[in-house]
This record gives sequence, C-alpha cells and structure tokens, in this order.
Amino acid sequence: MGGMKQYRQTSRQGLKVGRLTFLRAAAPRDLVCVGYGLCIALVVVLSYILGFLKLLPYDPQDMDLTLMMVPPGASGHLLGTDFMGRDILARLILGTQAYFLPGLLGITIALSLGALFGILAGYRERTADRTISFVVNLIDSFPRLVLILLVIAAFKPDIYYIMVVVGITNVPTVASLIRGKIQFLRDKNFIEAAVAIGLNTRSIILKHILWYNCRSLLIIQATLGMAEAILIETSLSYLGFGVQEPTPSWGNMVLSGANYLLQGKFWLSTTPALAILVTILGFHLLGDGLNNILEAGGKK
Amino acid sequence: MRGPDRFSAETMRLSAVRPVALLLCRELVLTALLLVGVSVVVFLILHLAPGDPFSVLLGDQMATASVHGEMRHAVGEQGPWYGGYTVWLANMVRGNFGTSIRTGLPVLGEIVRVGINTLYLTLGSMLVTLLIAVPIALSSSAQGTTLRNWPFTMFAYVVSALPVFWLSYVVIYFFIHKFRLFPILLGPSGGQKWISFLLPILVLGIANGTVSEVVRYLQNEMSRVLAEDYIRTARAKGASVWAHAFKEGFLIPATEIIAAKMPFMLGGAVVVEQVFNWPGMGRMAWQAAQDRDYPVIMGIAIAAAVFVRVGALLQRVVYIMVNPRASHEESRSWGA
Repeated sequence: MGGMKQYRQTSRQGLKVGRLTFLRAAAPRDLVCVGYGLCIALVVVLSYILGFLKLLPYDPQDMDLTLMMVPPGASGHLLGTDFMGRDILARLILGTQAYFLPGLLGITIALSLGALFGILAGYRERTADRTISFVVNLIDSFPRLVLILLVIAAFKPDIYYIMVVVGITNVPTVASLIRGKIQFLRDKNFIEAAVAIGLNTRSIILKHILWYNCRSLLIIQATLGMAEAILIETSLSYLGFGVQEPTPSWGNMVLSGANYLLQGKFWLSTTPALAILVTILGFHLLGDGLNNILEAGGKK
Repeated sequence: MRGPDRFSAETMRLSAVRPVALLLCRELVLTALLLVGVSVVVFLILHLAPGDPFSVLLGDQMATASVHGEMRHAVGEQGPWYGGYTVWLANMVRGNFGTSIRTGLPVLGEIVRVGINTLYLTLGSMLVTLLIAVPIALSSSAQGTTLRNWPFTMFAYVVSALPVFWLSYVVIYFFIHKFRLFPILLGPSGGQKWISFLLPILVLGIANGTVSEVVRYLQNEMSRVLAEDYIRTARAKGASVWAHAFKEGFLIPATEIIAAKMPFMLGGAVVVEQVFNWPGMGRMAWQAAQDRDYPVIMGIAIAAAVFVRVGALLQRVVYIMVNPRASHEESRSWGA
C-alpha cells in the first residue's frame, strides 16, 4: 500500500514536472517577482475593465467643494480627495484608461515589426543584415522623449500617435533580441536540421523559430513594453502633452497635486506617484523574473 | 626566452595598427551616415505633418497665400521635399539651423548656449547612476545572488520605477521646508550655486529609470567573465581576479551601457529640467513643442542625436582600443 501510494505520488509529480519543470528549477525569489508582477498586471486589467464599465466607487468628475483635500480614509474616501474634492481612488482606477490600450498598440507595433526585422536580419544574407542594423542604429539615435516632442509639435499631442512612436522606437530592441536568438539556433545547427528534414521556410520561421523559441522572449518584451508605456504616458501627461484635465491620468494627477505637496498635503500627488511606482515595478519584475526563469533555464 | 616573445608581440602590434585605424575610420563614416539619416528622419516627420506649420504661427488672422509664401521663404523651405531638404541640410552644415519662430534668435546659438547645461546634467546624473549601480552589480556578481545582497538589487528596481517628477517635488519639499534652502528654484545661475546644481543631477541620476537595467547588465557581464577559463587560471596562480576581469567584465560593459542609456538620460532631462527650471535643451524642447516652434525642435532633435552618436562613437573607440579581438570581428554595431 505504502509503496503504491508513493508510486502514485511520484507519478503525479512526474506528470506535473514534465510540464512545469522550469517552475521547479526557478529560484524562489524569481517566483516571488513574477507572482507580484502578475498580481499587478491583474489589478491593471481589472481597473481598466472597471473604468470601462464605469463601476467606480465615486464619480471621478464629481466635484465636492465641501470635501476638498480630505486625507485618506476620512469621510468614506479611501484614498482621500483631490483639490477639487474628487475621489482619488476613482480617478486612479480611471487613470489606467490613459495608458492601457495605447500601451497595447505600442507593444503590438514593437513586437510585430521587431519580429519582422529580427527575422530578416537573422535569416537573410549580409546586406539585409547591414541595412537593418543601420536602421536600428538610426532609431536608437533619438532620445525617445525628444522624438515624441518632435512628433507632438508636427502632428498633435494624441496618445495614440505617441504610442506609435514608442512602438517604433522599441523595434530595435525586439529585433536585435530575435536576431540573437536566430543566431543562437543557427549555431546549434537547428535551422540546418529543420531544412534538412524538409520543413518549408514559412513553417520554420513562424512555428519553429517564433512560436517555439521566441515566445517567452516576446512575452517578456511585452511586459517591459507596458512598463515603458506607463512611464512615457505619465511623463507626457505630467508635461502637459498627454491626457488633459479633467480626464484623469496618473501623470496629470501628480502634476495637479504637486502644489499642495509643498503645503504638506502629500497624498494628492503621492498616491498617483505610488501607483506609478508600484505598477512600473510590477511590470519590470514580471519581465525580468520571467526572463530569469524561461530564458536562462532554456540556455542551460 | 624573452627575446622571441617580445619580438612576436612587437610584430603583432605593428600588424594591428592598420586594422584599428581602419576600424576607427569605418566607425567615423558610419557615424556620419547615421547623422545624415537622422536629419532625413527629422525633416520627413515635419514634412509629413498635416496642416501647415505656418498656419499655427500666423493663426487665422493673416491666412493669405502670399504671407505663407513669405514665411516659408524666410524659414528656407520651398519646392518639393528633397529640394527643401538639400537647402536645409546645406544650411545646417554651414551652421545655419534657422531662426526660432518664437524668439527670432538663431537656433544654433541658443542650442549651444543651453546645451552645455544639459551636458552637465546628463553626464553628472550618469555618474550618479553608476555610483549606485556599480557596487550593487559587482557585489552580487562576486558573491552570487544571496539573501544579503538581494535587497540591494530590489532597491535598484524600486528606484528605477520612481516617477522622476514626483521625486523632484519631494526633494524640493524637503530642501525648502526641512532644510530651509530656498534658492534652489533659480537654476544653475542663481543663489546657492552648488545646491541648485547638485539637486537635479542627483534626482535624475537616481530616478531616470535605468538603474535596474544598468545593474542587471553589469552583473550579467561580470558574472559571465568571472566564469571564463582565464579568470580561473588567474585565480589558480594567485593573481588578482579583478585586475584580469576589469577590461572585459567592467570597462567594456560599462561604456556600452553608458552609450546605450544616453538617450534615456536626455529624455529624463526634459522632465527634470522642467521641474527644476534648469535652462537646458530639455526645457527648450518642451517650450518648442508647446509653441510648435519647428526650427528649434528640429535643431534640438539633431543636437540630441549628435550627443548620442558621439557617445556611441566614443564607446566604439574604447572597445576597439581595449579589445585586441576587435579587428577580427565583424561589426558589433547592434546592441549598444
């Protein structure tokens, strides 16, 4: 009986291990990072949905001049109210609207164009490689924020335009990572072998390179891309080019609360700043934790 | 024993002279080509812009064709785009970046005047970032990630997620209210010079959002090098491990990451200069974007790209000088 039980246990474990070996091999601290990051990502998605469905504790535009700058926890406002008596929690939740979809747009552009250029550079002969590396260097020459200001001056301060720019400026990173991966696979005679067993080019690139070998890399880049989208969106809203009052964005909330920070009413700008901090930290830890677990494990 | 050894070293050095010079030339040409590319991109963005730059400036009051034509002529833009581009490029090469639509002053002079402030700010904060990141990276690559140094790595992550504008306000708050140091808002030219100079540099160096990446990169590179055979040999014969690992494990990665993060620093400078009223390129770019002052923002984009490219060029020079294998390698211009 005992032997049987043990056998069943090991076999069950064996099954699990077969699918999730990487989880067992991972360092606990990486799992902590990834867990925290996943929680944050979940909270962001939930807030986006809540904001989209208008399921908020208070009306975020509802001014109440009798309850201006109420400290957190007082008179039913969990995170206090801002300088016009608007509920900060509701505005924080609604603030995810400012970056979530635009961020996804930026990520999509970065990943699709990055994959395209990365494969062209890694797969095609030297001239294509050189041309693409030139373009990559060219894009890398511009400080992102300066390029964005240029586009704002030329077109209009629209967050979707801005995220297109962010997406394009992230293409180099993704492209060079994928190119490196292809180089790695080529060195292991992986591609040669795939050609030798008669796979066609499309299946090699789409299935065997992108799906089997670059999947985790693309997920990692997507999480880091979201962190960057938040950083850019909040910075621009702070600078006055992004979302405009009264529509809330974490950036313009910090800006409008900053004057009161100097008066000692710290929560007006500190709460949105902490939201930025916690969220960007979450996406960074998620990306880097996944990188440690999936990529470092895969290379060994 | 020593004779032939020295001889071979000498011949190697002689034979190495040409490739290094050639490599440097190639890097120079590449930099020049990239700068031409940069100018094309900047010009095309503005050319593709919907609406007329000049209608913004003139408003609705003088929307006649002749005024537009005069304005275009005054800014030096006429004809098809390549015509406009060549005129513009030729002017720029001669040092004529046009004049600011807002102030009427020549753009180049203005950029040079404020650019030096931005250079102080970015280089200073790069130094601060390295002062934070290098000890963390080195300790964790030397000992492996342990329970004792993991908090420091996490600290680097928290610091790089800090919104720089909020940190600026907190620092200003503490310096005004707690330490009674008022004149920090006057910028580098006013009041207590050192403090107004140091605060923005400190803030940007801490919260530019790259500390964790710098730590990660330096740590990975150093760990990789420490696992190499030649380090094991050095350790076995009792030589200093750090002296042997310095070039490949620290100098090259550090210069690479500095060059790669230069654009981020310049971007962060836009925000920090805004908060601290620092008279630099970032503030000028912000003002120009507000006013849609095309010549200024074009000039700043180009100046910033020149900063970045010169930084990258210096990194390549260090790499070629330090790494004897550089001349045998194909272009490594990817990555950094």
